[in-house]
Amino acid sequence: MACIIVGGGVAGFQAAAACRAAWPDRAVTLIDAEKEAGYYRTLLPQFIAGGIAEEDLFFPPRGVDPLLTVLRGVRVRSLDCKERRLVLENGETLSYERLILAHGGDPYLPGILATAACGGIFPVRDLTTARKTKEWLADHRNVLVFGGSLVAVKTAAHLRHAGFEVSLVVRRGHVLLRALSPEAAKVVENHLRDLGIRLHVNAPLEDLRIKEGVISGLKAGGEWLPCDTLLVAAGTSPDTSFLEGSGLLTDGELVVNPALQTSDPRIFAAGDVAVIAAGGEKISPNTWPQAVSQGKRAAENLYRSTPLPLTDLTRINAMELHGLAMVTLGPPVDGAEVISYERPEAKVRRELFLIGGKPVGGALIGDISAAGTLHALIHSGRVIGSGEAALLRPQATGVIPFPEPAGRREALILSSKR
Amino acid sequence: MKVIGIRKDRCTGCKTCELYCAAERCSESKTLLGAVQEAPAPQPRVHVEGGPNDAFPLQCRHCLQAPCIDACLTGALCRDEASGMVLIREDLCIGCWTCTAFCPYGVITPSPERKIALKCDRCLYMENPVCVDVCPTGALEVVDLEEIEKLLHEKRLATAKAAAGVPEGSLLLLDQGRSVKS
Ligand SMILES: Cc1cc2nc3c(=O)[nH]c(=O)nc-3n(C[C@H](O)[C@H](O)[C@H](O)COP(=O)(O)OP(=O)(O)OC[C@H]3O[C@@H](n4cnc5c(N)ncnc54)[C@H](O)[C@@H]3O)c2cc1C
Ligand code: SF4
Ligand code: SF4
Repeated sequence: MACIIVGGGVAGFQAAAACRAAWPDRAVTLIDAEKEAGYYRTLLPQFIAGGIAEEDLFFPPRGVDPLLTVLRGVRVRSLDCKERRLVLENGETLSYERLILAHGGDPYLPGILATAACGGIFPVRDLTTARKTKEWLADHRNVLVFGGSLVAVKTAAHLRHAGFEVSLVVRRGHVLLRALSPEAAKVVENHLRDLGIRLHVNAPLEDLRIKEGVISGLKAGGEWLPCDTLLVAAGTSPDTSFLEGSGLLTDGELVVNPALQTSDPRIFAAGDVAVIAAGGEKISPNTWPQAVSQGKRAAENLYRSTPLPLTDLTRINAMELHGLAMVTLGPPVDGAEVISYERPEAKVRRELFLIGGKPVGGALIGDISAAGTLHALIHSGRVIGSGEAALLRPQATGVIPFPEPAGRREALILSSKR
Repeated sequence: MKVIGIRKDRCTGCKTCELYCAAERCSESKTLLGAVQEAPAPQPRVHVEGGPNDAFPLQCRHCLQAPCIDACLTGALCRDEASGMVLIREDLCIGCWTCTAFCPYGVITPSPERKIALKCDRCLYMENPVCVDVCPTGALEVVDLEEIEKLLHEKRLATAKAAAGVPEGSLLLLDQGRSVKS
């Protein structure tokens, strides 16, 4: 009886490694429902598009550790907090002393997609499905990506780059609705169009057309869009079904404190499954860097008498969309002051949201210089001065006198940091 | 662990370190003259920050708890166990720029043309870091963190000693070991 970790995503694997390092006497068992746990989920869009080989998806192998057991292809079916016991799908029970729940999220499938009985519809979330998707795409070229999330945008960009016909359908508002202001989203949307992606924003899903058992079209925003493949990346929702009746859920969510502890002090949560209640807000960043930090912190806290809070709870993220770099620093906030710098012709928009003079979020599109510094500034919670606000404005002073190849500035970096 | 230390008072902001770093570590020709004519333009891994009167060269600090390693989407950022250094494995880097948003010092530079992130590796496989060799004022030097730790420890002891002897209500001038009556 020792530590059990449910979920072999990055949060789970980080937790396992951190647990073995922090508590070397404790045995750790990691359980994952997938046959091949331990891969870079973030690379699945590139894998599907043929840009990355399957063998490059896996985490580097760890040395042999007799106190670490990894059970793959096993799903946890229920949790009994009183008896400190997990029941697995195969009927086996496992007792724990400490438990980390890191079982991530399941792809969200809107009603008609979840029940559609036809070929050619794939969520973008796990390797098993990604493999099938890739196989399918070998003789299907007309892809419709459904969703406005980071995963949807990345998937659309990589497939387009690989030569597929790609449409991106965004149900509400604009792309990256939860991360970007409408102005910043516009720059990204224009870039996606320039890549040759057919973009349909604010287009709620209405109907499906199936031909000979295969998806042949989707009606969204009143328009029929033909396709032979539908990839769904409309966000994730954690599968908390096996926690029902455990007493750990609040309104169906696994809410934890900033130290990642659930209402049962022996049980922690990390990664996409965790909803962190901090400063009167409920935050689930659903990002890779957060899953890593949370996995580590949860493990370090397991046997601490006073668990320590996560030090950098942020929604900050980055991506590169074949020629457009972007960093999201935090979502727009109602009533916040916005300071921005824009060069639309170069696809650049840099903006910060301030409340009471303190930066709380923003986005850097097309020019991501000073991203780390701005992140640190937001993290510090300080009121910013004019010098720091100037970070938003790329500065031309003191640049090394290397000649600029034409078009380079459009791609990135404009500041003196070069 | 050995890192590049900076003597802030000696830096004049001349950017010689930037120039030579870019030429030596990022150009094909390895000469300044050749480097300025290359495309994509060579990029340095050290950046001179601050204004004209407070310039200082900044490069990777090889943080003990490096947020960039946690942020990396592919495992390209990793710690070299032997040297303790934080390195980017260029073969694994996909140029997603996540790390650049997580380094609080802003010292990871995206290289869009090369599709990789660049940062200082203290010229690990060379005898001496280029920037250290070329700095005309000796503002950069390779220092041993353990040595610095020792110095810091001595300083802390001295401060604690001084603080113990300060009468209540006085102000202690740190670093100088004396106090003034407020
Ligand atoms: C295609 C894609 C691209 C992405 N790109 C980016 C990006 O560029 N940048 C970024 O920051 N984030 C990105 N993300 C998000 C990021 O990958 C996730 O936030 C992160 O992987 C979450 O890790 P996790 O360990 O919490 O959960 P997961 O990685 O989802 O792992 C959970 C694991 O738990 C297992 N599991 C679930 N239920 C059970 C059960 N009952 N019993 C046993 N095991 C169970 C699952 O099989 C799964 O392996 C992307 C996500 C996807 C899908
Ligand atoms: S790149 Fe930045 S975060 Fe990473 S080790 Fe260097 S200074 Fe620290
Ligand atoms: S840019 Fe390269 S090193 Fe940085 S996070 Fe992405 S893959 Fe890792």
